[in-house]
Amino acid sequence: MTRTSSPPPATPGGTDSATGLSTKGLSAGSIGLLGATVIGISCIAPAYTLTASLGPTVAAVGTQMPGIFLVGFLPMLLVALGYRELNNAMPDNGTSFTWATRAFGPWIGWLGGWGLIVATVVVLSNLAGIAVDFLYLALAQIVGDPSIADLAANTWVNIGTCLVFMAAACYISYRGMETTKAVQYVLVAFQLVVLVWFSVAALAQVAGGTAFDALAFSWEWFNPFALSSFSAFAAGVSLSIFIFWGWDVTLTMNEETKNPKTTPGRAATLTVAIIFVLYILVAVASLMFAGTGTGALGLGNEDIQGNVFAALAGPVMGPFAILMSLAVLSSSAASLQSTFVGPARTMLAMGHYKAFPARFARISPRFKSPSFATLVAAAVAWGFYAVMRVLSTDVLTDTILTLGMMICFYYGVTALACVWYFRRVAFSSVRSFLLKFLAPLIGGVILAVIFATTLVDSMNPDYGSGSEIGGVGLVFILGVFLLLAGVVLMFVMRAANPAFFRGETLRRGAPTE
Amino acid sequence: MTRTANYVVAYEATDRGREALQLGIALARLTGAELRICIVLPRPATVPSKVAAGDAEYQSLLLEQAQEWLDDAAGRIPADVTATTHALQAESTSEGLLQAAERFESDRIVVGAARAGLLGRFSIGTVASALLHASPVPVALAPRGYRAPRGLSRISCAIGTRPGWESLLDSMVSISEGLDVELRFVTLVRVDAAHDAAAVDAAAHLAGVLDYFRERADFSGPLTTAVGEGDDIEDAVEGMDWRGDEIVFVGSSRLASPSRLFLGSTANRMLRTLPVPLIVVPA
Repeated sequence: MTRTSSPPPATPGGTDSATGLSTKGLSAGSIGLLGATVIGISCIAPAYTLTASLGPTVAAVGTQMPGIFLVGFLPMLLVALGYRELNNAMPDNGTSFTWATRAFGPWIGWLGGWGLIVATVVVLSNLAGIAVDFLYLALAQIVGDPSIADLAANTWVNIGTCLVFMAAACYISYRGMETTKAVQYVLVAFQLVVLVWFSVAALAQVAGGTAFDALAFSWEWFNPFALSSFSAFAAGVSLSIFIFWGWDVTLTMNEETKNPKTTPGRAATLTVAIIFVLYILVAVASLMFAGTGTGALGLGNEDIQGNVFAALAGPVMGPFAILMSLAVLSSSAASLQSTFVGPARTMLAMGHYKAFPARFARISPRFKSPSFATLVAAAVAWGFYAVMRVLSTDVLTDTILTLGMMICFYYGVTALACVWYFRRVAFSSVRSFLLKFLAPLIGGVILAVIFATTLVDSMNPDYGSGSEIGGVGLVFILGVFLLLAGVVLMFVMRAANPAFFRGETLRRGAPTE
Repeated sequence: MTRTANYVVAYEATDRGREALQLGIALARLTGAELRICIVLPRPATVPSKVAAGDAEYQSLLLEQAQEWLDDAAGRIPADVTATTHALQAESTSEGLLQAAERFESDRIVVGAARAGLLGRFSIGTVASALLHASPVPVALAPRGYRAPRGLSRISCAIGTRPGWESLLDSMVSISEGLDVELRFVTLVRVDAAHDAAAVDAAAHLAGVLDYFRERADFSGPLTTAVGEGDDIEDAVEGMDWRGDEIVFVGSSRLASPSRLFLGSTANRMLRTLPVPLIVVPA
């Protein structure tokens, strides 16, 4: 019950303070294996993830997509194991920012936090972009007037609609409202059913000879090493990390689960098993139905790459394509709203430790949510999207490629932070060696290599959608701009308020302390 | 009675919360009850998003902030009132307050009732509204801009003429015990062509109310009655005199399940019109 946690302050009238968080309450520990798995799948948002990533992945690795999906999980797994160790060691510090600061000190910690914020801002803009496309597609399907779907191609309509989505999601987050468990269950079940339906319908058309560009199935698709170049491999892995992004969240949910020792691990395993089967099924069915060519429905067609289900669902599912529109729309809208919470809380923590201006640390007294940070996340994500819409010929593809790079960056920093933080206890047991040292080290190194390779490759103006500025690929310019902006802002913050950078607000630590 | 009464104050660092705190102070001065100043925080839950939301870290920062807010609230408590501060976690604010009232065995929940952002003097906010539908203990509603007076000089008790009025009187018997204030029984009536004799009936009814109360109560202060007349309830309320240092008790609707609050239409309309705090007592 209420426990006294601080001595009574000397206030007049004999006021004493007996503040304590009520022990986690009645519904604490109420989430079982199924509930945790549903949360895990919600985090990944497979309908959104697949429509955004299938095209860019085929562009990078062609028919080796199923194999790349399999191999791309490895770095994610290795990093997530490190995440879990950090989360267990520092339960009160829960983000890349605080972990990296505790391990490496303020400078790398700041950049780790920045990487996470940038990655989420980019994914917010992509989520909103996908939601806009599917909103107009769904309206067109409902009304039966295909011209409505073309509205999404109008830059200003698109940017304006995106603003509405952003504002709504930001408002919901600001109010501290959360998706209820029942809604989560329905959204997840709906996504899974529709994606399986899509795959089965695509395979049926292949069998019936009505596929767009039927490709014969080959086991060779599962061999990720059949790729011609390391660049293609790196780009594929970078995208694969994006498709599993969110999976690690399952591993860190402890207190809410019925059995904190076993539930998170089992839920994470079950989640990834379901996701694996689903991804392989959809990837194989899409390849067999549409091929990798650049024809109208080909997965290699740059016009449909950023959002393949928008183009494929109609031909594959016929009149039921509306279900796919609703599945992706609900998946991306729900994810858009929940994704606001991460960057807002990271910015709040950075504001609290004086790594960001103090106003970022403001908490709404009414809604108990990060007020200023949430608004900033929305404004920046929308601004980023608006600029990209104008600059890029295929904003969705380019943001996904940039995103892969940013995820590699902050996951890599976090994985290496794990290695460094635990360096003194790494060899104390076989378990420590494997989970606190070897797994995050290999994961971190893989991510660093992928990050460096994709960064260098993206200088080529043909990379991604082929958008370029001055002969340099847009994805490279974006990636470098976003990271350099972080470095510049870091020095500005250092000049304005050096307390954090002197280690006065958040100290380096080691697990023995 | 050796037990000291206590009131849960629904605090937040806003005008609403400060109004609740002021009403808590006024009520504590009247009855000698202690205040349990409570801030309700959202229960931590994994956010289904692609980035780990740093839930535990956010909770600790939130708790730190809540402690600052509570310290600030404690600093506003005058020397003659005893208060404790508490940060709680619950699914919703109203649920947290109800749990606190249950845990502390509180006698009342005090809440700022105004809706944020609207101009209406007494449009009910969501938390107050939720409490009115679910609280087993009386809910005290602080109007917009409320400031605690030095002491309360009068308690009004709004008594309807429909069956069931006795239950509020029974509550008043125990509430008024030993208090040194004027106690006024008020009935509001609509006066128009169709309700000609209403005012006369109301006066007779109030005489019966006084008899009922005197028979049961151990109350030595002045007892008065008043009939408010008007074209409608708002009109009737506005036509009466109300003091800045008075509080009004009303009963909850007979529609409510036993010992659950629910505001009847008359009380609801009073709430929108009255410039003084309203305490809604469950039937």
